[in-house]
Amino acid sequence: MIELKDVHKQLGGRMILDGLSLTVEEGETLVILGRSGTGKSVTLRHVIGLLTPDHGEIEVLGEEISHHKPEILRKVRRRIGYLFQDGALLNWLNLADNIGLPLRERRAHSEEEIQQRIAEVLCEVELDGHATKLPSEISGGMRKRAGLARALVCQPEIMLYDEPTSGLDPISSSVINGLIMKLKEMGITQMVVTHDMKSAFEVADRIALLHGGKVHALGTANEFRGSSDPAVQQFIHGNVEGPLAREFREDPGADSLNNEESEES
Amino acid sequence: MTRRRLRDSLDLCYIYCTGSFTVTAVVALFTGMILALNGGLSLQELGQESLIGRIVAVSLIREMGPFMTALILTASIGSGIAAELGTMKISEEIDALRIMSISPVRFLILPRLVALTLVTPVLTIFAGLIGILGGIFVAHFQLGVGWMAFRNDALEALTLEDIQTGLFKSVVFGVTIATVGCTQGLLTRGGATGVGQAARRAVVVSFLLIIIMGYYISWSFLT
Repeated sequence: MIELKDVHKQLGGRMILDGLSLTVEEGETLVILGRSGTGKSVTLRHVIGLLTPDHGEIEVLGEEISHHKPEILRKVRRRIGYLFQDGALLNWLNLADNIGLPLRERRAHSEEEIQQRIAEVLCEVELDGHATKLPSEISGGMRKRAGLARALVCQPEIMLYDEPTSGLDPISSSVINGLIMKLKEMGITQMVVTHDMKSAFEVADRIALLHGGKVHALGTANEFRGSSDPAVQQFIHGNVEGPLAREFREDPGADSLNNEESEES
Repeated sequence: MTRRRLRDSLDLCYIYCTGSFTVTAVVALFTGMILALNGGLSLQELGQESLIGRIVAVSLIREMGPFMTALILTASIGSGIAAELGTMKISEEIDALRIMSISPVRFLILPRLVALTLVTPVLTIFAGLIGILGGIFVAHFQLGVGWMAFRNDALEALTLEDIQTGLFKSVVFGVTIATVGCTQGLLTRGGATGVGQAARRAVVVSFLLIIIMGYYISWSFLT
């Protein structure tokens, strides 16, 4: 369903993805782990077509998207939901209008259907009663949940999450994890970028650890827990010393790469 | 343009008009007064102060009205557009639109372009009229030129071409301010500093383009 083949990407003069190959099967939830600046968000941005690979191929829902043909991107994106780190809600629209925006712009539904769908997803993310609030009037966690509601409103076949639980209180994190699990049960294909190990082990069918621009380790949650790979164990336990720390010290600019801008217009 | 985008444009027209109305009125009033005072005192030395009406009216309608309105809109609206779109860019809202298959050009830029193209000539006419009013006050109370003498001289001097030149300039300036503001906003990189730089660049680039294009439009109409 999602396939990245030998993807290379250089940003800010540094090779972020250096021959990354990864496959996500239909209905699978793949969690991507890795230190800051190792290309987790960059990988997600390639899958949604916000970044073009310097080299390599990306196939999503049977369509080759690495060449950025606008019609193909539009077609594919309509079938994908994406949760941004801070929700990325439009600040002048209230939550209901933000969530209903993709449906209204597609002009494929009546206003009554749109209202009903908005109410459903607001309820799913436990934001019913906040529909008329502006993004500036709610907390960061609520904004993230509203962003998730907007991603879900069009009933996507693929969901991509960029750090869905970062900065959330444990209860809000559980709500998000519960929703990911619910979508997993519904057979939605999901890619989750996270640093939250509890969340990763809870929702993942498989986990990929990115390191050096490639997939360093790939396996189920149990395989990860029992792995003898020092990099995997270092990441799980958050040890300061180890192969991941050494690489990071050698590349102090890695952290600045998270906010690289999109290339597509 | 869909009905939804047209409604967005009209909403922005209202916001831009109400946001710039007071400052435009004050600047236009005092510009007209300054023009009348400076021109009138010079003409008074030659005993020709009765010609002040034409100087104020033609200057304001043809040159000063479009120019000062454009500068006000650049500072108040153009920089605001750059900062707004810049903030949206760094907070990933533009990316969110793309992911929803919503074109940022149609959704964000087109309504702002249409709104500023409509609002700039309206405010230019308003500025011209207020400026002339300021000129009349100074001419009457400080230079001793009668109301009717001012009016008759102004109407005698003003031609349809002056009005067309002023309106044409204002439309070009409106398109320029919107285009530069949107472009600089979408080119924003980095955090809060990047937003500040985008707003500053929008003002500087718009100012330069307005001055340069203003000259060439005047030149093309006059020759």
